[in-house]
Amino acid sequence: MLRTLIIDLNKLRLNPVVVTQVREKGHLTRPRLRNPYWFVRKERLARDTTVTTENKAFVKEIIKDKYGPPAIIKGIPSYDQSALIKTEQYERQPWHEKARRCGLIARKIGQYPLWLKNGERIRTTLLQVVDNHVIRYIPPHEYKPAQKPNVANLNKYGCLLVGAESVDPSTLTKEYCGLFRDSGVMPKRNLARFIISPEAAIPAGTPLNVAHFRAGDFVDVRGKTVDHGFQGVVKRHGFKGMPASHGVTKTHRRPGNIGGGGEKGRVWPGTKMPGHMGNRWRIAKGLRIWRINTKYNVMWVQGSAIPGSTNGLVYIYDTILPLRKHKTAPPFPTTFEEELEALTGPSDDIWYEDVHSFKDDTITFQPETN
Amino acid sequence: MNITNRVFTTSWRKGNSFIRIVTFSTKPQANELPPFIQKQSQPNSTGSIEGRKSVIPQNYRFIYPEFLPDPKVEWRNPVREKLERMDMLDRRTKIDIPEFYVGSILAVTSSDPHAAGKISRFVGICIHRDRCGLRARFILRNVIDHQGIEVRYELYDPTIHKIEVLRLEKRLDDHLLYLRDALPEYSTVDINMEPENLDDSAEVPINDIKVVLRPRPWLERWERQNLQGVANVDQYITDKQRRQALAHEKPWEKYDMMKQYRSSIPEEEQKEIFAEVHSQLHSLELQRKRNKRKRSFVKPTKLA
Amino acid sequence: MSRLLLTNLKTCPTTHLLSTISTNTSYFTPGLNHVERRQEIHLTSTCSEIRKLARLRVVDNSEIGKRAMAEGKPPRCIHVYNKRSVGYIGDKVLVAIKGQMKKGILVGLKQNQKLKIPKFDSNNIVLIDDNGSPLGTRIHVPIPTVLRTILKEKTQAKGADYTKVLAIASRFV
Repeated sequence: MLRTLIIDLNKLRLNPVVVTQVREKGHLTRPRLRNPYWFVRKERLARDTTVTTENKAFVKEIIKDKYGPPAIIKGIPSYDQSALIKTEQYERQPWHEKARRCGLIARKIGQYPLWLKNGERIRTTLLQVVDNHVIRYIPPHEYKPAQKPNVANLNKYGCLLVGAESVDPSTLTKEYCGLFRDSGVMPKRNLARFIISPEAAIPAGTPLNVAHFRAGDFVDVRGKTVDHGFQGVVKRHGFKGMPASHGVTKTHRRPGNIGGGGEKGRVWPGTKMPGHMGNRWRIAKGLRIWRINTKYNVMWVQGSAIPGSTNGLVYIYDTILPLRKHKTAPPFPTTFEEELEALTGPSDDIWYEDVHSFKDDTITFQPETN
Repeated sequence: MNITNRVFTTSWRKGNSFIRIVTFSTKPQANELPPFIQKQSQPNSTGSIEGRKSVIPQNYRFIYPEFLPDPKVEWRNPVREKLERMDMLDRRTKIDIPEFYVGSILAVTSSDPHAAGKISRFVGICIHRDRCGLRARFILRNVIDHQGIEVRYELYDPTIHKIEVLRLEKRLDDHLLYLRDALPEYSTVDINMEPENLDDSAEVPINDIKVVLRPRPWLERWERQNLQGVANVDQYITDKQRRQALAHEKPWEKYDMMKQYRSSIPEEEQKEIFAEVHSQLHSLELQRKRNKRKRSFVKPTKLA
Repeated sequence: MSRLLLTNLKTCPTTHLLSTISTNTSYFTPGLNHVERRQEIHLTSTCSEIRKLARLRVVDNSEIGKRAMAEGKPPRCIHVYNKRSVGYIGDKVLVAIKGQMKKGILVGLKQNQKLKIPKFDSNNIVLIDDNGSPLGTRIHVPIPTVLRTILKEKTQAKGADYTKVLAIASRFV
């Protein structure tokens, strides 16, 4: 009896030397890379089969009551949200050279040429600012992103959340719609964050328009390039391939040799090989704005090689190229809707001084007098 | 339509078994017939006989082909197209861009920073016309001092002062690039040619001249293109080339409805587009007519 | 390209004669056609640029140029004086003509040109000497106006005065 009890007690005794080995324990202490709070599931699973037409009409009615009737605003199907927008007391601050302004969300809508006053033809891309509204401003002391963007002195900058393109909220999830609850605007299809200095903060619910930039300014345009899928070297890197005939077999579009032997007997990093082409974020930097149309919120930007396909989303920033930064004060923090009329006058177009307006007379050159 | 006309139309249609897909052409029936026959069947529809529905003349898509956008779906955007049309109309208020076709003889006066008087004028036959919107362009060809010269202009280039149509006519083909391989007299135009007056109500005449080509080598394989306006392709090609031309024929293409759909703007969209620009284009047309009358009155005194 | 030019030149007199007679059927007599055929044989592929060994056409009335073109031995480009070694309009080339080396200026090209710059049916040169003064006294075809600007720029850069070529031009387009 006693013996068995002693054995049981022995079993219970804790051995202080035993170490349970846990592999790769380090992952527990690593900082977790959390996504920003606005990264939530957007699309709701559509189970509309059970919804009757009356119910659909009812949902539409609710949306109309809550957000306003559907309307086309500056060429873009949207909703008339004038009743929603809250007016806040807002105080402007002066611009200084170090200030970081907010950017815009736009769609690339096509290309066509413009002409300069000296008769030169330039190729331009049209970017349409699609129904942008400020959703929220996060001040510097609150903005602590887990994944740090590549910005010097990030602790001095805040973050501005901007949304583009109003959508029917019944197609979105509840969490996603919740992001917009305090902003006073409808849920938006696209969101972007811009890192700004606190002076450039804009109150939530403010619509952003193309007059945020002036004609003649330089911008950087960020977009996702056209996806080509997995491609060979001829298309991806412009290799020449090999001849179609003269005894060549099975190596017409192949890369050929990819490395030497001996000491360097390996494939060097960065060797051009087949792989996925396109669908990368790329920034076209330092593009001049030649013309601005405030009626349709369109800007004409230098060049025909803006990343992305036609009707694709792009993000427009003030350029970071040091020689092309703003010399004089831009609209700071932005151009509000009330100021638009004073800016454009009767016509909707603002032309850069070098560009020939189509309403002007034909270009003539003065013969030299000598 | 009189009998000779009808006979000509049918015979022409029979001969033209292969029809090149015209980029900016429209409804399926219209695609099968070349533009001018369409126009023949509806002469002078500017008067809006059918009532409220057809205020816009049917032939606008041939007179103003550049107002129709590129039919490639991936490149289309309604706002861009609208802005482009507005710019085109703005330019048209500053310069009179007349109706012309491939085969018409044009004179283009443009300001040229390199020329002595800062202005240059080129007269030639239009051999090619392509692209749409503000990018629309055409090529003029002429033989000056026994030297063939071609110049390519853009229709909406603001350095162009004046585009005059010296002779308004059409040819049997969509393009006349084969004039480069033809005898020089077919592309020779007098530089000091006077504009020929054409009655406004009359339809545009079709010049059914057959061009005589030079012997090979040619710039392109003309025998494969089923050209109507060339007389002697058969004279220079070998049997092998003839066989290959036959092998490269695509007679099924005219039944390829998908291809037609992809390469044309649907009729309803065309109507929308032209309804938008019609009023302005019409007023410009009226203004041109007024100017023409004025000019024709002034000119005799000047000549005498 | 250059071949076509050659045939073109050779048939020039016949063309003129026959064009007055008829334009339609049996244009070239069989005998003539035979000659034509023989001339058509050429093995080099056509080159759309002015590179080395491209055949050119002399368009001024210099003695050597006239004789070379009349004999059917058009000059060949043996060097292009620029860094790309592809000649564009207004560039200086070295040509082999009748066993001699001469310099010339390209005054008209067959390749596609920019807007409003004329494209010619042949590749034309004007022969010049080392100082840039032309060997002939007249250019018998039109030359593009853009040459004024191009040659003026080159004159400042190189020291030789190429603008004398412009002075002997009969017509600009």
